Amino acid sequence: MNAFVTSTGSFLPGPPIGNDEIEAILGRVEGKPSRLKARILKANGIRTRHYAIDKSHRTTHSNAQMAVEAARTCMAHSPLPLRAVGLLSCATTQGDLVIPGFGSMVQAGLGIPEVELHTTHGICSSSAMAIRAAVNTLRLGDQSSALVVVSELASRLFKNTRYEAAGGHEAMDFNSEFLRWMLSDGAGAWLLESEPKGRCLRVDWIRSYSHADSFPVCMSIGHPTDPGDARTWQDFGTYAEAEAAGALLIRQDVRLLEHIVKLGVDGALRLIDEGLLDTNRLNHLLCHYSSHHFRSKIFDMLEMCGARVADEKWYTNLYTKGNTGCASIMIMLDDFLREGRARPGETILCMVPESGRFNVAYIHLTVVDAA
Amino acid sequence: MTESIVLARPQVLSELGQATLRRLMRAWFEFERRMARVPIIQRLDNATFTREDYQRLLLNLRPQVVEGSRWISRCASSFDRDRADIRSVIIGHAHDEHRDYEVLEQDYVASGGSLDTIRARQRNPGSEALHCYLMYRAGETNPVGLLGAMWIIEGLGEKMANNWAARIEELTGVGENCTRFLRYHGSNDDSHMDKLYGLIDRVCTSDEVADDILRTAAVVSRLYALQLEEIDVD
Repeated sequence: MNAFVTSTGSFLPGPPIGNDEIEAILGRVEGKPSRLKARILKANGIRTRHYAIDKSHRTTHSNAQMAVEAARTCMAHSPLPLRAVGLLSCATTQGDLVIPGFGSMVQAGLGIPEVELHTTHGICSSSAMAIRAAVNTLRLGDQSSALVVVSELASRLFKNTRYEAAGGHEAMDFNSEFLRWMLSDGAGAWLLESEPKGRCLRVDWIRSYSHADSFPVCMSIGHPTDPGDARTWQDFGTYAEAEAAGALLIRQDVRLLEHIVKLGVDGALRLIDEGLLDTNRLNHLLCHYSSHHFRSKIFDMLEMCGARVADEKWYTNLYTKGNTGCASIMIMLDDFLREGRARPGETILCMVPESGRFNVAYIHLTVVDAA
Repeated sequence: MTESIVLARPQVLSELGQATLRRLMRAWFEFERRMARVPIIQRLDNATFTREDYQRLLLNLRPQVVEGSRWISRCASSFDRDRADIRSVIIGHAHDEHRDYEVLEQDYVASGGSLDTIRARQRNPGSEALHCYLMYRAGETNPVGLLGAMWIIEGLGEKMANNWAARIEELTGVGENCTRFLRYHGSNDDSHMDKLYGLIDRVCTSDEVADDILRTAAVVSRLYALQLEEIDVD
């Protein structure tokens, strides 16, 4: 039993937003321009991104709506009728509703009857978990098709009013502001089927390595600003108190970020040892690095031990489509295929390092032409 | 000192050398994860590390540091005439570090401790095990496996300088005059690491040697972590 990616699609809300337009949309905290913005944007290398909120902070597309748009685009490229999809496997970092699961909302939006439903929870690597569930279901023979839909709506977290409610500039530091200049919105979808169709991608293997046992939380929402306060957001009397204490801000402990680079390389070396990965024979590397800064670090470390992945094999759309968290790898593969870069017999490694509490996922694909 | 081996990283050339380097890097990453689970290092990560923690760290490191140049020089003297070039590199290394413990002692005093206390401190059980293992291996003829030990210990020197020193100052309020060992040791170890990369090709002549290097790295990794775990035992 096998699994093949037979179609892909993506959706990005609104027009591309340049670096000088970001603050006009997200808003200036207490009316003052950010002092960190230029530095963070220079390091991540992102030039344009998309937001599902407008200047007046109205949501133009809900998270589920973006997911539905991406799924429809994906299915429009496939002869398989939407109603025939066997499994709907969805992921997001934060749905529009806290409960029920994101998949339910996406199913309702798509109108697929009696589908088997799966929702994964996490940050960037939740996409790989949703793909893993789809691949397993097809390999077991329980279904013959699985639609993986992954969407991210981060911008609502970055409105100036969120930071003002948590104490404004006085309560903000590098860690609480960092992601404001990193993340943006978008959705991607892959259709997986147990039989190849036309030019498609065989899923050779999926592996992931999580290191939450070794390292503290690196990216999170739920901890208050005061590190001495052990409460998490639901432990406060009201959500207003939690917000005032900074427990609803998204944070990145940038001091710990270097671990994710090493763990990404560690996993790759492990896969080489297992005989699953041959960096010399690999044709394309689609790596969801969040920042250009990290790309060179991964590159150098792999090169140092003879596992070099040549420059021309690296593909990313980070700089123009932004870092859309878990949706990034989905949108990246869609763009990559649409640009006609994949030739039969070539191999593709999708790599998703998640800094949340350090999980790194790898998906190995081979381009095939169905007979 | 004249060296016959001058190879800067990442110029590891042979296939076996590169495969060994990949294994060593994985051993290092595993060591870093192991270290991240040690209580005193967890406190460094979660910002609860105190000045007392720093003093305890120095107290428990000193016995191993003061013995460090002993095993390295014994290791150097165990290389025979056919490996005199390796011997030279290791002698240089021993010479660079043989008085590091004095800097460590001064840091301890600068942070508010007494010289008598740190000098009287005996090895903790982890340091004892680490010391005995290294001295035993260093006495063997041509102890190439000890490259794995140096890989871990020198790598840690870089880590102390790059990750620990500033963090400790930030959390405990001690000044740079208290973290000179961590910083100095680290900047010195950077050039030592370059020499180690150079040695990998010279030393890795067979799969057996590579396995020995990796096994030694694994043992040292475990015993070093044990040494730091013991800080919270006594």
